[in-house]
This record gives sequence, C-alpha cells and structure tokens, in this order.
Amino acid sequence: MSLLELECVSKRYREGELEHLILRGVSLQIDTSELAMVWGRRGSGRSTLLRIAAGIEAPDDGVARFDGRDLARHGDDVLGGGIGYCQKLTGAGSQAVLEVVMMPLLAAGIAAGLARSRAREALERVGASGCATVRGSALDTSELVRVALARVLAHEPRLVVVDDPIQGVDLLERDGILALLRSLTAEGVAVLASTTDATGLSGADRVLTLMEGELRGPVPQELAPVLELHRRGARQASA
Amino acid sequence: MQDPFVSAIVYTPYVMRAERGVQAAPMQSQVNWALLGLVIERPSYAYELARRFERTYEGVLTLSSVSHAYTALAALKDRALIEELPGTREGRQPKPHYRATPKGLEEYGQWLVGQLDEGLRRQRLFVVALATFTREPQSALEILDRYESACLTEAQNTPIPSRAGARVGGAPELAARLAAEEGRLALGAKLAWVEYARRELNALAGPREAAR
Repeated sequence: MSLLELECVSKRYREGELEHLILRGVSLQIDTSELAMVWGRRGSGRSTLLRIAAGIEAPDDGVARFDGRDLARHGDDVLGGGIGYCQKLTGAGSQAVLEVVMMPLLAAGIAAGLARSRAREALERVGASGCATVRGSALDTSELVRVALARVLAHEPRLVVVDDPIQGVDLLERDGILALLRSLTAEGVAVLASTTDATGLSGADRVLTLMEGELRGPVPQELAPVLELHRRGARQASA
Repeated sequence: MQDPFVSAIVYTPYVMRAERGVQAAPMQSQVNWALLGLVIERPSYAYELARRFERTYEGVLTLSSVSHAYTALAALKDRALIEELPGTREGRQPKPHYRATPKGLEEYGQWLVGQLDEGLRRQRLFVVALATFTREPQSALEILDRYESACLTEAQNTPIPSRAGARVGGAPELAARLAAEEGRLALGAKLAWVEYARRELNALAGPREAAR
C-alpha cells in the first residue's frame, strides 16, 4: 500500500451556469521517501490536485487515501501530523520568524517551551536558523519558502505537499530549495510538489505531467484495471 | 629538435596548402576545439590532456584513443592555435607541453560564441521538420508529446547542482554547474515552445477534425 493514493479523482467548479472540469480521473500513488513533482502550466489543475492530495479539498468523484484512509472523511485527522501542506507565508510581516513557526504548534495545544524547541529544530532543518529573530517582512522569497516548510516540518509529517516552491525564487537560490526537498526524502518523508518550471524537475524521482486536468504518462500498474472500469462507467453514462 | 611523431603528422595537405598561401578551411572537429579549451585551461602534454578530455567531456565527446589526442594537438599546432612550451622536451622521456597562443585564445572564443548559431540551427531544423506535418497536425501533436516527454525526462535527470564550496571548486565543478544550469534553462524554453506549438497545431487540427 502506498502512502498516498489518488484513484480516478475528478473535480469540478461552478461559475454561474458554467461548470469547469478541473481534474479528470487523476490516479497516482506516492510512496514513502519519494519526491514526486507535478509539472503543469497555469490552469492545468496543479493546485487543485495538491489540495486534494493534502486532504484540504474533497474530490467530486474518485477517492484520495492517505495511509489507507479516505481523506474526504479523515482529512482533518491527518492534516498536520500525517500530511503537511505548505502554504506561502502571508501576513507574517511584523512577527519574528520563530513565532511564525511556533504558532501552529501552539494552536495544536503544544506547550510553549516544547513548541519553541521544535520550531528551532525545524528552522535548523531547513537551513533558516539564522532567521529565527528576523521579522517576516525582512525575508526574501527563498527564505519565506524555507520558513513555510519549517512550519510544516515542525509537526513531523510523513508527507509534505508543497505548491510551486520555487515560484519567484531567485535562480541561484532554487537549487537550495530543491536540495532541501530532496533531503527530506532521505529522512523518510514523502514529498509531492508542483512546478511550472523545468528547473524545478531536477532530482525528482518522478515527474507527473498534468495537462488540462489529466495526468499524462503511464498509469500505475495497480490502478490500471480500476481506471479502465471508471472509463467504461463514464462512457456508459455519456451514452 | 622537432618531435618526430608530430612532424610526421603535421606535414599534411593542409600544411602544403598553407605554404602555398591557400586560406585554411575552418576547423570543424569538435574534438580539436574541445582539446584547445583544455590547453587553455591548463597547459599540458598529450597523455594528460587525453585523460582530462575523457573526464571533462564524458558522454559529450569521445577520443577514439590517446593517439587521437596527438593528432588533434598536431592539427592545433599546425594552425598556430597552440605552441610548445620551451624546455619541456628535455630529459630521458621528453613530454612536450603545449600552451595556447593568442590566436588560439581568440579563435576559441569565436568558436564558443558560434556554438549558439549551431544550437539555433539544430533547433530550427527540428521545427522545420515538424512543420512538414501541417497536413497531419494530429501526427505533429503526437511528436510534440514525445518531444515534451523527452525534455521532461532530461530535466528530471539533470542533477541539482551543488553550490557547496562554489568558490573553492575547480574548473570541472564550475563547468558541471554551468552546464547543468544552461541545460535546465534551455529545457524550460523548449517546454514553453512546445506549449505554444501545441496551441497552434490544435487550432489547425480543430477545423480538420470537424470537417472529417
């Protein structure tokens, strides 16, 4: 059993009378210690796919499982400890970075002393320990990404989901971010990330090409029969 | 005293043409240019240059044998792009060392810049060849898919360049980092072009598909 499994996942959004099909029967598996990179252009459905993989959004069709559990039913239980969804940092301007990293730990009911030490460890892990006392507004894009990752890693997740971590990051700093993601897998963490940039694919164990809501490339062997059933069902429904 | 091995090689029809005042044809051999680059990097003798060549250009260019390096050096010397370092032929086992001449430095720079034209020419060849499928846009789209897939695989296989010790790393490390970065950025541009070409071909395929 893979750590994360998406099986024939579809997602639609309504805009007035219009219905947009954002994801079309996406199936994938992510294993422990794997770095999988979703590559796709703007509007390809990357962010929606990642939010579903993180359990933040539920699919309209299909199922997303983490450690065998349906994320649509257990998403809140696994978010944080099991899955870390890395969001871009906003509104961290006036706070010191250490506080920014501590905040979700305190919100999760962890005592201040322990939260502080875990936040320090996480900052060290992402190579941003020097930023601990710096205000968020003083950070550059690369440091903001590292701090956002530290916030997630402080919860010791088994899967980190991160949407376009190198977007806007200076060319010389990108490799540091990619190397950091790679180093997480060496510690046993699975990473599902996305990028619109070919430079972001370096070192990935697997590249998943998403185009107009569909995943290109080979379907995982185990999921092929399920996917075929899904397709037959869709054909019958349309007939 | 002249190196008998070198003199045996350098007295080629090219030299004879040069002696007659006929202008030399441009040097085409990528191996010769690459070897000139290594001489510029650090003056040395044939065997060491051959070893360095193998390490530096592994997977990119191939020397058929060490004697290939001797031949290439002779050609470079013949064109006055390199010269022998004085005093390196002495001893029981003389190892003539070579260094680049000002002409060698100048022409190497010109050749490097010329590589851009070569790269553009190859890319243009691919694009023109693909455009022959305009009557069968669906086939062109399938080729584009495969091209895109190859680009993505190449991007994935490009290792993350390590910047640790960037300032202390030698020329090979710097070359590896620069090559990786150039390759990744070029792949990014190719992928953006694929997206553009796909839209054009889809627009072309649309009316045809509808007409069928």
